[in-house]
This record gives sequence, structure tokens and C-alpha cells, in this order.
Amino acid sequence: MRSCLLLLPALLLLLTLPDTRGRYNDDFDDGEDLAEFDDNDFAEFEDVNEDPTVEVESEPPPKPAPSSIPVEDDEDEATVEIEDGQDEFEDADAQDQDMYSKYDKDEFEGYEKTNSPFKDTLIYQDVPAHLQNSWESYYMEILMVTGLLAYIMNYIIGKNKNSRLAQAWFNSHRELLESNFALVGDDGTSKEATSTGKLNQENEHIYNLWCSGRVCCEGMLIQLKFLKRQDLLNVLARMMRPTCDQVVGQIKVTLNDEDMDTFVFAVGSRKAMSRLQKEMQDLSEFCGDKPKSGAKYSLPDSLSILSEMAEVSDGVMDSKMVHYITNHADKIESIHFSDQFSGPKVMQEEGQPLKLPETKKTLLFTFNVPGMGNTSPKDMDSLVPLMNMVIYSIDKVKKLRLNREGKLKADRNRARVEENFLKQTHAQRQEAAQTRREEKKRAEKERIMNEEDPERQRRLEEAAQRREQKKLEKKQMKMKQIKVKAM
Amino acid sequence: MSANSMTDPRRPNKIFRYKPPSTDSNPTLEDPTPDYMNLLGMIFSMCGLMLKLKWCAWIAVYCSFISFANSRSSEDTKQMMSSFMLSISAVVMSYLQNPQPMSPPW
Repeated sequence: MRSCLLLLPALLLLLTLPDTRGRYNDDFDDGEDLAEFDDNDFAEFEDVNEDPTVEVESEPPPKPAPSSIPVEDDEDEATVEIEDGQDEFEDADAQDQDMYSKYDKDEFEGYEKTNSPFKDTLIYQDVPAHLQNSWESYYMEILMVTGLLAYIMNYIIGKNKNSRLAQAWFNSHRELLESNFALVGDDGTSKEATSTGKLNQENEHIYNLWCSGRVCCEGMLIQLKFLKRQDLLNVLARMMRPTCDQVVGQIKVTLNDEDMDTFVFAVGSRKAMSRLQKEMQDLSEFCGDKPKSGAKYSLPDSLSILSEMAEVSDGVMDSKMVHYITNHADKIESIHFSDQFSGPKVMQEEGQPLKLPETKKTLLFTFNVPGMGNTSPKDMDSLVPLMNMVIYSIDKVKKLRLNREGKLKADRNRARVEENFLKQTHAQRQEAAQTRREEKKRAEKERIMNEEDPERQRRLEEAAQRREQKKLEKKQMKMKQIKVKAM
Repeated sequence: MSANSMTDPRRPNKIFRYKPPSTDSNPTLEDPTPDYMNLLGMIFSMCGLMLKLKWCAWIAVYCSFISFANSRSSEDTKQMMSSFMLSISAVVMSYLQNPQPMSPPW
């Protein structure tokens, strides 16, 4: 049994020794090196015999570094191996256990667990960041993810706040609306025209409400335009430039002529008035003068009036309106009554004949929610009186009638505007008519060409020629007539 | 003022259905943010994928988030999801190809 035990390690050693020598040979593949060490394998190594561990220690640290000294390292390897082998060969009995533990020391060339704190003139290369296995090196990524989480949190909080504000507004106005309109809340999709009693959510910050079924008006579309609280970028931008929520109510009056007389009128904050005058088609055409101050009606200085004529202002600004407006001047952004409302000025495309834009009789109200962005649901109650004003305006506009003079003026204004418009587009319309005529001619010619039957071709050509002749004659007649008239 | 106690202003026979205002008539009123952000997000994620730039991919993720937050409810969720997935894949691919952490520009 003991002999077997002795044999095993011996066999192993025999295996390792040629291996080391083989490695030794492999490592020194260059011919010159082999020649050097051929005679006395251990001659070179006798010098370094004293400190075999030093060379051993120098092995592991430079391993990750580029191996600039391969030859010396391999020498040390060989040294260690052979020395160790010799040692173990001598103390075979005593080191049975060690041998078993060093069973596969071949795999650990040059790496010994001997401890020697010898560290001079060693260059420690930094381990690259992605091999470091520490989270700290990824701090940029952690920052990014934190930013994303913050954005998501803000989205949820902002969305909830906007939704709560919208609900608060609706709750405080529900009674008033339901007593005035037969249909409160409609999204246009359901078959039956039943009140949904809910706001339409168009966006995370825009809510719509459609009310209909009342005398004097077709319907009322209320749009709650909240601040974009769900977008973090917007929140940060608002910190620079404070803005406030808006309640935009657009009331479309019925097209029945009786419901609204012909006038254009607007009142609101100075900034809003100057902006609207530039932007809105009807205000720019009918209210040419600059916004006037409302001092005549004892309105606060912050408000100004745009009106087609003085009579209109007098008619609209009765005592009750003035009372409403004065009390809530800070919340009123703009109030716009118009029978020629067609929205903001449209940028005209080149070469396209303009058609007079469609107009609708409209009353437009824009209110600012108090709180300047930091609104709470309670602030919505303060808007109820403004809604009362809206309802009052609807009824009032129906009753407001211009006197004869005013009516004449208004009609003249409208005719003037239409004429201007036609003049402007005259050239364009002419061009369009010309192109149409040419197209027709071309189409006819093509038809004639395509006719296979020569007889028919000839006949069609003759017909076309006759038509041309007639046209020319007509023109000549007209010219003659004009000349005669001129004379 | 609002409703006279005598006469009810409501007229159920005069109800008009809600017609969503067509966007063709007033393109200026529409908010272009979600469309721009969507486009930017796609451009950045393609840059990040092709040029293997990590910061491009991260910006693309942010762009797609912003686009989602500003989007209208009537908009197609598929487009949102596709741009979102594209940006996430750009980030993942950049890190798979090069696990090194992002180095700050300073």
C-alpha cells in the first residue's frame, strides 16, 4: 500500500518534470537561447538561486501589464518549477499531503503563495473601469436613471394635480351649467345625445366640455388649458417665466341672424388686446384703431377695448357688464364678441386663390385662473361668477341691436372688407381662371387628336374653330360698346 | 342672470352634437412638441446605435419620455411605444458593445 502511495507521486513528478522541461524548451524557441542553456541547464539559475521567491513574486503583478520581459519571466518559471520539483523529490515521504495539494501546480506556473512584501520598482497598472466591478464608476448612468425616475415622478404628480383641478372646476360649475344647458358633456361618439356629465380629456393638461341645448346659442365649448405640470421641462421653464392656467370658453351662437347683430367687439388686458388685434382676422380688419382705454366706462387701467364703433361699446358695456368686469379684472384675459369670427389669420399659400374665410357668430371668453400656477382646487370657485357673466352675455347679445346708423356703418364696413379681399385676390383669381381656360383648350385638343376617325376629327376641329370665332366676335362687340359708352 | 325661475333657458330640441374641431383648419393651434420630440428621439437613438455613443442613446430615452408626456390622447400609442423601444434598445446595445461606464465630457 505504501509503495503504491509512493509510486503515485513519483509518477506525477515524472510527468511534471518533462512538462517543465518541455515548457522550458517551448519558451526558449529561439535557437540562440537553447544553445546557451544546453550544456548546463542550471548554470544560469545558480545565481538567482538565493531568491527564487523574488522572481516568483514579480510574476503575478506584471501579468496584466504588457509582458515586456517574457524571457526573464519564463526563466523564473523554469527555476521555480525545477527547484520545487527537486525539493519535493527529496521529501517525498513527509510531504505526501503537500503533493496532493500541489497536485495540479502545473496550472499555477510561477505563482506561489509565498508572501514577500517586495514591491519596489513595480508599476501597478490601473484596472480598467469596467473590470473594476464597483458601482461607483457608473455614476453617470446612475445620474441618468435618477433623472428619468424624477421625470416619471413629476409626470404622475402633475397629471394628478391637473386632473384634480379639472374635477374641482367641473364640480363648482356643474350646477350652473346643468341649469342652463340641456346637454352637458358630449364627446361626439355616442349614438344618443345624452349628457355624459364628464369632461373630455384631450391631453394630460387640456380638458374639454361641450354644452348644448339652450336658447340663443348653438352650443358652448369650454376648454380648460392647464399648465403642463406633467412635463418636467415645462415645470423648469415655468420657474423662469411664470404663467397661469387658463379657462377658455368659446361660445358659438346660432347662425340665425336674429340672435346676434353685426358687430365686432373685444375687451381685455392690454397685452392680450394688442396680441389679438394682430392675430385675429376679424379684429384686424374691423377694429383698425389701437385699443382704447376703458376709462369712459370706469374700467380699470389694466383693461383696454377694441371696438368696431363707439355705439357697439356703449351697447355692450352696460352697468352689469361693467360691474362684472371691474370686479374680476384680474381674471379676465380677453372677451371677444364677433359676428365675423374666423379664427386667427391664416398664412396664405403662394399661388392659391383665396376664398373668403368662413365666419361664425361667436363669443369668446378667456379667463385666467388665479394663483399664477400654484392653483389649488379651491380657486376654481372664484371662476363661477365669470361663468355667470358668460351666460348673461349670451342673453344680452341676443337683445343688443344697433340703431339704423350703426347698422349702416356696420354693413358698409363689411362690404369694404369684402371688396378689399377681392381686390387682393383679383390677380390670383385671374391667373387661376386663365390656367383653367388653357386646361380646357388643351383637353379639347387632345380629344381631337385622339379621335381615330378622320371625319369626326375634321368636324370637331371645325366646331372648335367656330367657337373661337364666336368668342372673338363677342369680345370685339364688348370693346365697341365700351368705346361707345365712353364717348 | 343665469336661469330665470320662470323660464328655463334649456331647449332639449336645440341640441347640437359635439364636433371635434378639425386640425386642418387651425394647424397653428396644435402643439408641435410631441412630434418634434418623437423625431429627435429617433434620430438620437439611430446615432447612438450607429456611432456607438452612449450619451446619444440616453438623450433618446429622455426625448421619448418627453414626447409621451406631451402627447395627445388621440395619438397613436404604437408610435409612442415604438420610439420608446427604439431608444431603450439603443441604450442596451451601446452597453452590450462597450460595458465601460460613460465618461463625463469635463
